[in-house]
Amino acid sequence: MNKPENVSHPTPDTGTKPATATRDALVSDWGTSSRRLRTVLLYLKRNPNLTVGLVLLAALAAVSLGGQLVLEPKFADPLANRPKLPPSWEHPLGTDSQGRSMLGVLIYGTFLTAKVGVIAGLIGVAIGAVLGFMAGFFRGWVDVVISTITDVLLTIPPLLVLVVVAANLATKLDTNQMALIIALLAWREPTRQIRSQVLIMREAGYLKTARLGGTSMMGIVFKELMPNLIPYLMASFVLAMATAMLASVGLEALGLGPQNEPTLGMSVYWAMFYGALLLGMWWWVLTPVLALVVLFVGLYLVSAGLDELANPRLRRRRQ
Amino acid sequence: MNAPASSAGLHVADLKVEYYTDDGIVKAVDGIDFAIRPGVRMGFVGESGSGKTTTALALMGMIESPGKVTSGVARLDGLDLLSLSDAAFEQHRLATVSYIPQGAMNSLNPVARIEAQILEGFRDHGAPLARADAQRRVASLLEQVGLPPAVGRMFPHELSGGMKQRACIAIAIALRPKLLIADEPTSALDVITQRRVMETLGRVQDDIGSALILIGHDMGLMAQFVDEMVVMRDGKVVEHGDVRTIFANPSHPYTRTLIESVPSLERRSKPSRATTNGGQAATNGMPLLSFDGVSKAYGQVEALRPLSFTLAGDMPCVVAIVGQSGSGKTTLGSLVLGFETATNGRVTYSGDDVNRMGRAAVNRFRREVQAVFQDPYASYNPFYKIDHVLTVPLKNFGMASSREEALDHMIRACESVGLDPAQTIHRYAHQMSGGQRQRLMVGRAIMVKPRLLVADEPVSMVDASLRSTILGNLETMKTELGISVLYITHDLATAYEIADYILVLHKGSVVEAGVPETVIDDPQHPYTRLLVDSIPWPDPNRHWGAGGSLDEETQSVAEADVTQPLVRNEIEGFRLA
Repeated sequence: MNKPENVSHPTPDTGTKPATATRDALVSDWGTSSRRLRTVLLYLKRNPNLTVGLVLLAALAAVSLGGQLVLEPKFADPLANRPKLPPSWEHPLGTDSQGRSMLGVLIYGTFLTAKVGVIAGLIGVAIGAVLGFMAGFFRGWVDVVISTITDVLLTIPPLLVLVVVAANLATKLDTNQMALIIALLAWREPTRQIRSQVLIMREAGYLKTARLGGTSMMGIVFKELMPNLIPYLMASFVLAMATAMLASVGLEALGLGPQNEPTLGMSVYWAMFYGALLLGMWWWVLTPVLALVVLFVGLYLVSAGLDELANPRLRRRRQ
Repeated sequence: MNAPASSAGLHVADLKVEYYTDDGIVKAVDGIDFAIRPGVRMGFVGESGSGKTTTALALMGMIESPGKVTSGVARLDGLDLLSLSDAAFEQHRLATVSYIPQGAMNSLNPVARIEAQILEGFRDHGAPLARADAQRRVASLLEQVGLPPAVGRMFPHELSGGMKQRACIAIAIALRPKLLIADEPTSALDVITQRRVMETLGRVQDDIGSALILIGHDMGLMAQFVDEMVVMRDGKVVEHGDVRTIFANPSHPYTRTLIESVPSLERRSKPSRATTNGGQAATNGMPLLSFDGVSKAYGQVEALRPLSFTLAGDMPCVVAIVGQSGSGKTTLGSLVLGFETATNGRVTYSGDDVNRMGRAAVNRFRREVQAVFQDPYASYNPFYKIDHVLTVPLKNFGMASSREEALDHMIRACESVGLDPAQTIHRYAHQMSGGQRQRLMVGRAIMVKPRLLVADEPVSMVDASLRSTILGNLETMKTELGISVLYITHDLATAYEIADYILVLHKGSVVEAGVPETVIDDPQHPYTRLLVDSIPWPDPNRHWGAGGSLDEETQSVAEADVTQPLVRNEIEGFRLA
């Protein structure tokens, strides 16, 4: 219930210092780094989506990056091991019919697939953020040019372009080139998303408050607008990364991926090609599929968690 | 205590509404009794959270879980409202009890024509009309609320705010209900539109002879409109009676506080310019602010016609710029702050053109000219905590050299407007009320210690009880810190309270100027007269329309000359050229 807020005689005194004791007791840790760390931890506790998603991705990263320290890359190559072994102590995830260790595939394949997603996603979001920001902030002819090109390109189905390009390069392709091909079209959605956000934000009243506070043009862009864009940029990045990985796995499952690298998608392709399930080699199928499931669920949860972070009004209150 | 079942009108006895929340039971309405006879207007007054809207929702059968009506009787012409099932209530909503919502702009369906929205009520209550009959009913309803028949074919976005609110009234009275509930129907409208809507509402209520409940917190509006009044606080009735009796002799201290929070002619505390600590003139002997034939046009629309004035600054004063929305007053403020560039003429701050300043001059200008805006919700960057609005100027203007010094500044800023620093600077803006945010914005302005403050409708979005506090802050800034204030408002009453000089702006031109005693006590221009006549004075004996009917007055405004301002007196420190 609101009480009438009565302050009869406010005194804007200028010289006197507030009592040090009061200040220390009430707001002693204002602006210190321990306060900031505590705020972050408290926030993660209130946002289980983000926390669980980050944990899943961190676990996968730990397996993949940690595994690279113990297991050499050649274990993921054909003919490196005895083929068709079920899981055992020596080969915890078994081997496929060409002698790849599935543990090696898990370690190196996850890394390669995630690398495609990160490279394509980063390029896509970087281009999209710059274009979207320019279109939304400067309006005018800049906006017309950028928006028209983006809108036209958005009508092109990406798989069409990707299949055509990849099919022409198929045998010589490596994962980096794959990522670049996917990045060709990955900037379209981020451009649209960032532009619409900037359009809303450039009219916000707090930009006026900042200008009154003596903030320069660059300060307004980088200190007032950008922080509010970060959650959208991150959400855009997560989305672009997931889309890029989905596209790469799709291309690979069609056999259009890098033939000589053990990405998760190529493993799925080989498992289908050699009829792994008919041979009863469930571990061959299960390993890449589970890795993909953890990867995508983790990304989904992070993206859902960022949604909440993007809107402070939805941020859960401290208990 | 049983209400007689047969008597006409609404009889409410021992009504209790409780909300079951995690923190325990909230008694939103805690045992209230009242009765309204047909044709009577009853006002429900109280702060937000006092239970006045919950009472109305209970009478509409619209209390939602986790809320529950736990006791009481409400009979409307013998019909027991509280015992009706949800399905049965649907038959009575709109037909027996009708509701006029707060934000007309949000409650009309944007994709349906007005006539369709009026006819919806007839259809839902089993009386679909023949085509010709329907047209006739729509036209007569629109005429009743003073709208031309063509409005029926229009969509909501084609209407102004006041017209939309009147369309809502037409929808609410279509089925001639026995009880009308109006929930702050004019809270977002300026005084003239408010007067028009309230006069319309009063007339149609007389036409259909229903009882009416007006919910609000504006005591002035209550004094102008209702016959009886219920003052609520924390779910209880603290005072109930005839409106004249209550205004003449309020028995509860809370009622007295509410009445006193409304600016009024009698209580004007004349700002004593003699006691000021001396002004904050520009250091180079130039006037602080000057407009030299400044005009602003957006395409074909002239927002501000050529205007010239000088504000010396050595003798601090509060200059009020008064006008309706669209009068150009906010454009004027933006020009002063350098957010807009004048189409013609020059805005200069201590001799420098505001839009052509060098780097050093811009820094000084930004530090010395501050503002408080209308909307305390939009003024905070949601990414940062509250302290951001304070730390930014401290850093950019080099006002603090250490963490401790910055903290001292911030604590003083909070305390200068009566906020508890410990409860403030660690929070996010969305965790504070609009009133708290607006006070902190004022505190921020005090902290920066500008020479000139542009206050653009600083109190139009805060509760009445806070208004006088914030206006008091502005006055303190003038008298104790020597800050000159441009007070932009649509509200003549608050301008009367704090201004030393008033400019009345109409369609981009100054139509009248002078000290408040001249302009408001003896308005000469028809537009000023219309504005003054439309102020809802908190005095049941001083009625709207003392200067004639609204239509007559609007007519004489339309015929009046707007090219030459009526200037009757001048004050030291401000000169209109």
